[in-house]
Amino acid sequence: MLTGINRIGDLEWEVPIGYVPNMRVPGRFFLSRTLAETLEEGAVRQLANVATLPGIVKNSLAMPDIHWGYGFPIGGVAAFDMTEGVISPGGVGFDINCGVRLITTPLTEADLAGKKRELIERLFNAVPTGVGTKSTLRLSNKELAGVMVDGARWAVERGLGTEADLVRCEGEGAMPGADPEAVSTKARQRGVPQIGTLGAGNHFLEVQVAKEIVDPEAAKAFGIAEGQVCFMVHCGSRGLGHQVATDHLRTLESALAKYRIHIPDRQLACAPIDSPEGRAYYGGMACAANYAWANRQAIMHETRNVFAQMFGIDYDEMRLIYDVAHNVAKFERHDVDGASMEVCVHRKGATRAFGPGAEGIPREYAAVGQPVIIPGSMGTSSYLLHGTATAMQKTFGSTCHGAGRVLSRSKAKKEVRGKELREHLAGEGILVRAHSDSALAEEAPEVYKPSREVVRVVHEAGLSNTVVRLEPLGVIKG
Amino acid sequence: MSFEELEHTADVLMRVRGATIHEIFADAGRAMFHVMYGPCEDRGVERHLTLEANNLESLLIDYLSELLFITEVENTVFCTFDIDLRGTRLSAVLKGEPFDPARHSAGTIVKGISYFGLEIVKEEEGYVVEIIFDI
Repeated sequence: MLTGINRIGDLEWEVPIGYVPNMRVPGRFFLSRTLAETLEEGAVRQLANVATLPGIVKNSLAMPDIHWGYGFPIGGVAAFDMTEGVISPGGVGFDINCGVRLITTPLTEADLAGKKRELIERLFNAVPTGVGTKSTLRLSNKELAGVMVDGARWAVERGLGTEADLVRCEGEGAMPGADPEAVSTKARQRGVPQIGTLGAGNHFLEVQVAKEIVDPEAAKAFGIAEGQVCFMVHCGSRGLGHQVATDHLRTLESALAKYRIHIPDRQLACAPIDSPEGRAYYGGMACAANYAWANRQAIMHETRNVFAQMFGIDYDEMRLIYDVAHNVAKFERHDVDGASMEVCVHRKGATRAFGPGAEGIPREYAAVGQPVIIPGSMGTSSYLLHGTATAMQKTFGSTCHGAGRVLSRSKAKKEVRGKELREHLAGEGILVRAHSDSALAEEAPEVYKPSREVVRVVHEAGLSNTVVRLEPLGVIKG
Repeated sequence: MSFEELEHTADVLMRVRGATIHEIFADAGRAMFHVMYGPCEDRGVERHLTLEANNLESLLIDYLSELLFITEVENTVFCTFDIDLRGTRLSAVLKGEPFDPARHSAGTIVKGISYFGLEIVKEEEGYVVEIIFDI
């Protein structure tokens, strides 16, 4: 166990001011004793570094999937005062609005019997995945501007979905304040050929079954029942988002001296929220976030078509439950010491988890709270949860985003063989389709913390409550 | 090879050593393309690149970021990096081949180059730098 941090509750830990020099507020994270055994000192240091940034409100926070990243730790959350505070690409990451959506189908596992391999193969052919792949959608530069401003709505207006999909996305699938002028020509060049592509790494399209209903009332509100076949899309803003992050990180790094901001890590480069550099980053980031929503919408559309063709079901029978972002900075109102305050909440590998009655969640879910989707690692369970009032009080309405890695890529490659992993999962009835077996090894289940333990911690800490556990049936990966 | 992968939980951490700064830049490029594509050969694709920055670390990040851009929009994979450095002005000749999904799918996408801990350090016999590639 690490020294210099204090346990302040069953699942809550504090990083006191002084852990690193110039902290303005304490750090706080949520972790079980089991998960604490794998906590890296570097991740705690990054959490403490965030606490040194100007205008940080209450605490620098981390969720139970905390691990060592760059800038913010993965699982990091921090809110900043709108006048005194800063905005930082290091609190969002390169893959802006990497996120997840979950869709139900009217099928059961029995309907897939004997057809699963064909289904996975057809999905692999329908959705471009992996390094170097290009979209089948043709996009003009003018249309790209529409994507960047309108997000998922752009896709729906192009016929890639329905109006009903939009209300079931965080922020209705688009962030306000998107400024295409803040997106470089390079970012646009990267964005044009990639809309509707999955990418690589931990991104996936997975066919799942709702295996265990933990909260029947919430499950009913979300429209999901036991035994129902679902699919989950996990991807982000592709090269466009990566380029927006790269471009603005550079600008903000150069502007540090201008604003006399001293940071312990150049990856935390930032600028006042209401400065030309801060506004430009926000405007560009919002464009990338909107691109990501359009991207997931387009992938969902292709997947719906495959299901409809193969199983003779209607497109409209495949209902989007929700779409969440887990790498983003947003302007939100939160109660801070009894007063409502507008803050800029950064979530880097963390999910918004607004509780019942909170503003900005679909009316049909208002009594339950926002759906929270936690993807499992390959071959393990994913979870549907709902947001809570506790999250609103303790974490600016935030929870974990996934399992969180425990094993490095290099160790994974030494310890796991992709081919064996694929065969082992097939033996368990989980079909995996990817361009290369070696890439699979890096995403093996043992590379990650057990998702059930991470979800148990957020559930018991009250940051979000478990509704449904989903098991994988087949997955396509980059 | 004068680059080695170190332990990093979330991303790829590479240590690059070189007798000269030129070698550092060349091998940092090779390391990144190794992560993205695996093996690559010179099959006649050539590309020139010129960049300038305020310091060597920023130049290294700009250079690697530019390579990410070029490989993606031009569908090329590079394996040799001929570097000319004058202060903080870089000219590079890149050589490689067109992207071929059959041969270049062993790696993963690099999303960006992190500033975290990136410092070119002078050692007794040359230079060393550790670079985190976000994957």
